[in-house]
Amino acid sequence: MNIRKCFLYCYLVYHKGIWCKFFNSISGYLKHKLINAIAGTLAVLLITTGTTLGQRTQIKGFAEIVTILDEDGKVSFGIGEQDLFITSELSNRISFLGETVFKFSPASPTDFNVSVERIIGKYNYTGNHNLLVGKHHTPINYWNDTYHHGRVFFPTITRPLLFQKDIVPIHTTGVSLQGLNLGKTRFGYDFMVGNGIGAGDSLDDNTNKSITAAIHIKPKDGLRFGLAYYSDVISGGPSHSHGGNGNGNHEHVRVNQHLLNASVAYFGKKYEVLAENIFAVNHNDSIGNPLSVVTYVYAGMRIKDKLVPYIRVDYLHFQQEEPYFAYDNTTAVLAGIRYEINFLAVVKLEYQYEHHDLTGDVSRVVAQFAVGF
Amino acid sequence: MRESMLRRSLYTLCFLTWMAFYCPLLNAQDSGLVVIGNSEDVPSELDRRQLISVLRGEQQRWKDGGNVVLALMEPDTPIGRNVCTRVYNMSGNELQKYFLLLVFQGKARAPNYFDSAEELEAFVAKTPGAIGVVSQQTNSSVKVVSVDGNSTL
Repeated sequence: MNIRKCFLYCYLVYHKGIWCKFFNSISGYLKHKLINAIAGTLAVLLITTGTTLGQRTQIKGFAEIVTILDEDGKVSFGIGEQDLFITSELSNRISFLGETVFKFSPASPTDFNVSVERIIGKYNYTGNHNLLVGKHHTPINYWNDTYHHGRVFFPTITRPLLFQKDIVPIHTTGVSLQGLNLGKTRFGYDFMVGNGIGAGDSLDDNTNKSITAAIHIKPKDGLRFGLAYYSDVISGGPSHSHGGNGNGNHEHVRVNQHLLNASVAYFGKKYEVLAENIFAVNHNDSIGNPLSVVTYVYAGMRIKDKLVPYIRVDYLHFQQEEPYFAYDNTTAVLAGIRYEINFLAVVKLEYQYEHHDLTGDVSRVVAQFAVGF
Repeated sequence: MRESMLRRSLYTLCFLTWMAFYCPLLNAQDSGLVVIGNSEDVPSELDRRQLISVLRGEQQRWKDGGNVVLALMEPDTPIGRNVCTRVYNMSGNELQKYFLLLVFQGKARAPNYFDSAEELEAFVAKTPGAIGVVSQQTNSSVKVVSVDGNSTL
């Protein structure tokens, strides 16, 4: 039954065309070879791990309902993403993780889009060291590697602006090495090679590979310090889709992108602090090395068992010559309160204010009911 | 004189009545906890730091290579509450959120939760690498894991 669920999931994903494009683009002989290679690799891994199939499969989901009061006094009710999350242990050392999001999309004939956010095969080769293949949330910053699409876990209603402005390369399809909780400081690392920005989910758009190198330590419970570096060559042309990570709607030149992220997170019994900063350089021979600085700081304090007032400040600064990110310096402040009914149901009420150098000011009040199921 | 003796007797009676009714309740909440493990893979001795690391899902494998499999009482049971407080320093709600987030990140396996200690012990007995916490060992097929040299936490 568990294995059937797993195959059913893969079948559904296949029929959404994610794999179809890739398979249709190659010849029959190559297809045959590729399928044999994948099947052979899986067989070897299963045999060498020497264990039986029929392990646990878990299906979880996350969803949200929001209400927005905008500056014109208009109140809108809306549904956000519905996230379907599956994990399955295929053998003693191999496990599978899939995350698929269903969300409203006016461009779709059905008004909804299905987006495969993560498909990860994990091979635990020794101790706390893993080899991961598939489509990942790039482990470049704390938020992206921690909360994914589980809105019930978000400390605020929305992601930080550095996500909305596409500073973070949200996804990477590729292969990575991961280490977790090593030694007394609970050191962890991720080293990933992937298709990078501009690539689709099945094919790269250029010959360059993105590199992500991230390390972190957790010296005490709830406290985590992280440092990450990301490098990629982004082909010139129109802006890229969310799957390959976009940069707004404008043409851009080919750039060599370098991102350096530093983060500190503390989620204790009473206080919560999360701060992340990215230094970004999009190098182009004719433009040089304009430096962009994006940061956010979140702070919350648990005043009662289930009640957390919080504040978040976002700051995005770009140099005028910036060739890749949409040039729109932004400062934003939000303040809100979170009521945690239990670990599967959270209500948040938030006032959001954003100042954009180019497009002016925006403010709104948003309420969210986020659940896990 | 007789009145004061009567009063003393009355106080003693009240105290004994309180002891008789209240102490079993204290025992249910705060009695010692016993760490049990499967006879395969799970070591017979751990220090407290190692135990906490294992029970927090931070260790994927035992030293001999076997998988770490967690067996916990449901957090809303008396033993489960006791384990949450004394081992994890969390409420039941916090513990479930903690593990849901780890599983969602793909960084740990979800613990196996049980409503009764008998079921938990039976699971640990038949699952290689399984470790769990109960109030006392009743199944001879599992071994007691000593923590810092003590058989109870």
